[in-house]
Amino acid sequence: MSLLEVEDVETYYGESHILEGVSLEVEEGEVVALVGRNGVGKTTTLRSVLQLTPPREGSVRYRDEELVGMRTHEVADRGVGWIPEDRRIFSQLTVEENVRVAVPDGVDTDEAVAFAFETFPELDSHRGRDAGTLSGGQQQMLAIARGLVGENDLLLVDEPSEGLAPQIVADVATALAEASTETTLLLVEQNLPLALDLADRFYILDNGRVVDDGDADEVSADDERLRRYLSA
Amino acid sequence: MIPADPALGVDLALPAVRAVPDLALPTLKAVPVQSGTSFFDGLGQFLQPETLVSVFVEGLAKSAIYVMIAAGLSLIFGLMGVLNFAHGTLTMIGAYLAGIVMVVLVGGATGQWGRILAFFGALVVVFVLVGGFGSLVEVGLIRRLYDRPPIAQILLTFGVALVLEEAARIVVLFYGLQPTSEWQEALGTKPAVLATRHSLGPLSIRGLALFEILLGVLTVVGIWAFLTRTRYGLFIRAGSEDAEMAQALGIDVRRVFTVVFALGAGIAGVAGAVLMWDQIWGANVPLAAETLLPAFVVVIIGGLGTFRGTVVGALIVGMVDAVTTWWFINVVTWTWLPDVAVFLILVGMLILRPQGLYGVEEVGGH
Repeated sequence: MSLLEVEDVETYYGESHILEGVSLEVEEGEVVALVGRNGVGKTTTLRSVLQLTPPREGSVRYRDEELVGMRTHEVADRGVGWIPEDRRIFSQLTVEENVRVAVPDGVDTDEAVAFAFETFPELDSHRGRDAGTLSGGQQQMLAIARGLVGENDLLLVDEPSEGLAPQIVADVATALAEASTETTLLLVEQNLPLALDLADRFYILDNGRVVDDGDADEVSADDERLRRYLSA
Repeated sequence: MIPADPALGVDLALPAVRAVPDLALPTLKAVPVQSGTSFFDGLGQFLQPETLVSVFVEGLAKSAIYVMIAAGLSLIFGLMGVLNFAHGTLTMIGAYLAGIVMVVLVGGATGQWGRILAFFGALVVVFVLVGGFGSLVEVGLIRRLYDRPPIAQILLTFGVALVLEEAARIVVLFYGLQPTSEWQEALGTKPAVLATRHSLGPLSIRGLALFEILLGVLTVVGIWAFLTRTRYGLFIRAGSEDAEMAQALGIDVRRVFTVVFALGAGIAGVAGAVLMWDQIWGANVPLAAETLLPAFVVVIIGGLGTFRGTVVGALIVGMVDAVTTWWFINVVTWTWLPDVAVFLILVGMLILRPQGLYGVEEVGGH
């Protein structure tokens, strides 16, 4: 039994058919990269798992439990976390409040907050500031910290390197590599070297369908097998 | 907005007469006018320390009332993006419910502290009942309209207001009361300590004004503490900024919105309970419209979507109201002065800074 099994998922935005039968599996402890050009349905796949954009057809099973039909907070309660594309930190909350709000009921909040600031010491000195005043890299760190304190067994990570300077991207990669020792990652990433470096396996999405998959160490970022679907 | 206040030169024993139709300028009630004082004489009198402190205390009392009237409206709009046109109606229902509790519990032999204790019991009853009703309205009606344009919510809450007002009118008439007059029996449950004036050095201050200031402070501190010092308050602030992200963190945003609406409705009801004892307002059906307009004025001046703005907006409106009321009563014989002054500030704000003092461009996260 895989941790996450997505099977023949069909998802629409209004009448636009975005996912046309996506299937993929994520095993516990893996890092799986989902790659593809802009607009092929990568983010929609993550949103479909979270039931933010519920699929019209198909099945999404997490620990063999059907998620389709649940509400998003119920999916999150089961241990599925989200680090979204544009970070979506709560800009009017302080940095510490952003961490606190992600700690699930029943978990020692102070301990979880201390863990987050130990993991990301750069955020510690800003804990009382409004999160909206952080730099892009700091906001990404905060988004990852929020995902980590959520006690999630699966983290859905969407374009973590987007819009960041190269040095910051390296820091984010390190943070994600550390996160992957604690939790399973399904990673959407346009930066192929970064994605393949972190991932154990990959899926290529094109026009709402999975068109290829394999082990990350089988391919390199300039491999024709990948370039065919990823170049503009 | 204009109190008949002995400290400001008017004998409270004189009957307050409504000067304008209920819906035109709902808070304005006429008071007898003393005229003949020149502007400079008036200015000299106004700048006397005793007058300034008196006007300041009256301004605080008015601000307290305005913040209680507007706080629920501001919370619901700021956190949910819903303009609740039934807000004033909930205040009116709160006034009547509190009146019922007080009339039932308080007899001629009830002492002052017994009356005050009964009043706090009435506040709890009103908060629970009006808040519970608010949650039913949110779950049963408003929730269905979150994905529709704001006009749908406005029309719905306006419709709810009309239905509730007419229902209240029918019930009040059925029990032999006059819907457009303050409920005197409820007013009569006020303890003497609040109905009289108290000397503080050279000052003479209304007991009810001090009580209203106390309740206003408790309301502001309570809401602030709930939003910033509790875990559920954190959920509310997160859910209102980005509902989708909050759900993905495990927060049941639908329930959060129900709680916010119930809280806002409950506070509206509590404001009504306070007004029930104030003879400038009193429990009456037109109270719904009389409170809705100033609530909007305060929220717009402070800035749609911020609780801090509501508090500052209430202070500004309360102080301007108190100052202009003093001038109207003592110097200027123009009945409309306080209302015109407040609405001029509103107009100026809409022209110069439409989002208000602390307003944000967009509110509501859904």
